[in-house]
Amino acid sequence: MKRISIPVALLLAAAIFAAAGAAREKDSKDPGDDRGVLRPIAQAPLAARDWYNPYEGQPDAIAAGKKLFLQHCAECHGKDARGLHGAANLRSPGVQNATPGELVWFLRNGNLWRGMPSWSGLPIERRWQIVTYLKSLRR
Amino acid sequence: MILRSHVSNVSLAAQLPVSPPCFPFVLLFLIIGALFAAPPAAAQDTPYFVAYSHHLEEPGSLEVEFYSNYATQKAGDDFIAPWMEFEYGATAWWTTEFYLDSQATFGQSALYTGCRWENRFRPLMKEHWINPVLYVEFENTSGADKTLKEVVGFDNQFGDAEPNSQSRLEHDHELETKLILSSDYKGWNISENFISEKNLGHRPWEFGYAVGLSRPLALAASPRPCNFCAENFVAGVEFYGGLGTSKSLTTSGTSHYAAPILQWQLPQGVSFSVSPGFGLNSDSHRLLLRWGVTYEFEGIGDKVRKIFR
Repeated sequence: MKRISIPVALLLAAAIFAAAGAAREKDSKDPGDDRGVLRPIAQAPLAARDWYNPYEGQPDAIAAGKKLFLQHCAECHGKDARGLHGAANLRSPGVQNATPGELVWFLRNGNLWRGMPSWSGLPIERRWQIVTYLKSLRR
Repeated sequence: MILRSHVSNVSLAAQLPVSPPCFPFVLLFLIIGALFAAPPAAAQDTPYFVAYSHHLEEPGSLEVEFYSNYATQKAGDDFIAPWMEFEYGATAWWTTEFYLDSQATFGQSALYTGCRWENRFRPLMKEHWINPVLYVEFENTSGADKTLKEVVGFDNQFGDAEPNSQSRLEHDHELETKLILSSDYKGWNISENFISEKNLGHRPWEFGYAVGLSRPLALAASPRPCNFCAENFVAGVEFYGGLGTSKSLTTSGTSHYAAPILQWQLPQGVSFSVSPGFGLNSDSHRLLLRWGVTYEFEGIGDKVRKIFR
């Protein structure tokens, strides 16, 4: 088989990294502070809106949620949750007005086309803890 | 366990001329420059060595992984086969990965055995009970490759007993595809992989399987940062083996393994994994001891993209 040349490898690398970049830049063109996050949250099934958060308001869950947020979410949403790289501001009214059930559903599904990964690999207990922390930011 | 003999002092460079050429080295130059400015990140990886789940790399993150596979052989010299992986989240639905393989057979030689380029795609954009992932990989390896990242066709321990001096002369260009089906339920992950591999020469399709089951030791996170708490450990088991070829679909004459796994995921982006695999029939290696360390860098995509602006 023919040897693949260095320019081809360079082009390939550029294409891969550019693809990731394009996905992020697309986000940042959305108007408004929510940056497009409202639409996918609105796709949550009706039943999810009423899901009960077993950790609601618990200080330990807020602390655990903050720890998880810094580990998994702060890369894109910033340590203050106001959003980086065009990712959503999680303190915005659109996010804060969503129910805990809608947010935990959204964490499970993500928004793959727009760069938000699915966090279904985290057990649901940890997703509830993250949501508990996010809701505490409203104060 | 006592290693039976020493690896001879054959230099890696001396072996390279007969090893398959590899383009990922170029990519490494691009990545390494960006690494120094990149903070670590914690991933949501499943601990499997052979099976794949539907959890892909986070977009823009790069995971550098070093794994090794030690095997005992009844019919030949024991060997150790280290490999490196560079796993990059190109998008939230596409992960691409480069591998660099090597091996050292005790009493024979140590050599670089080739490279692989793997891509995984999620065709469905939402979570379901069963989540499919399409996997396509191109392999450019020598016949001496012993990483055993998958078992297909009639792969067995007798094939790995061939001396390096002969097996390294064989060059394999192979296309490997997998259908990955994966589910998460109450903290458990169960993944089923259906593997098909085609040597691009005139050889039949080879088939294999891998099944993985895993769960964190604690589902909820503790409120304080910790390294040794149960939430950072994932335990599991995987089963994998060959299923013959398109001319002879069978489970006999090929090898099968059961391998418990333990992974320790540190919040700083590092994880350690170990998995002793036990051969389930006489065609299998008696023991495959795998271990690995990974480190995830976040935001690599943004940093490299700036180079091309």
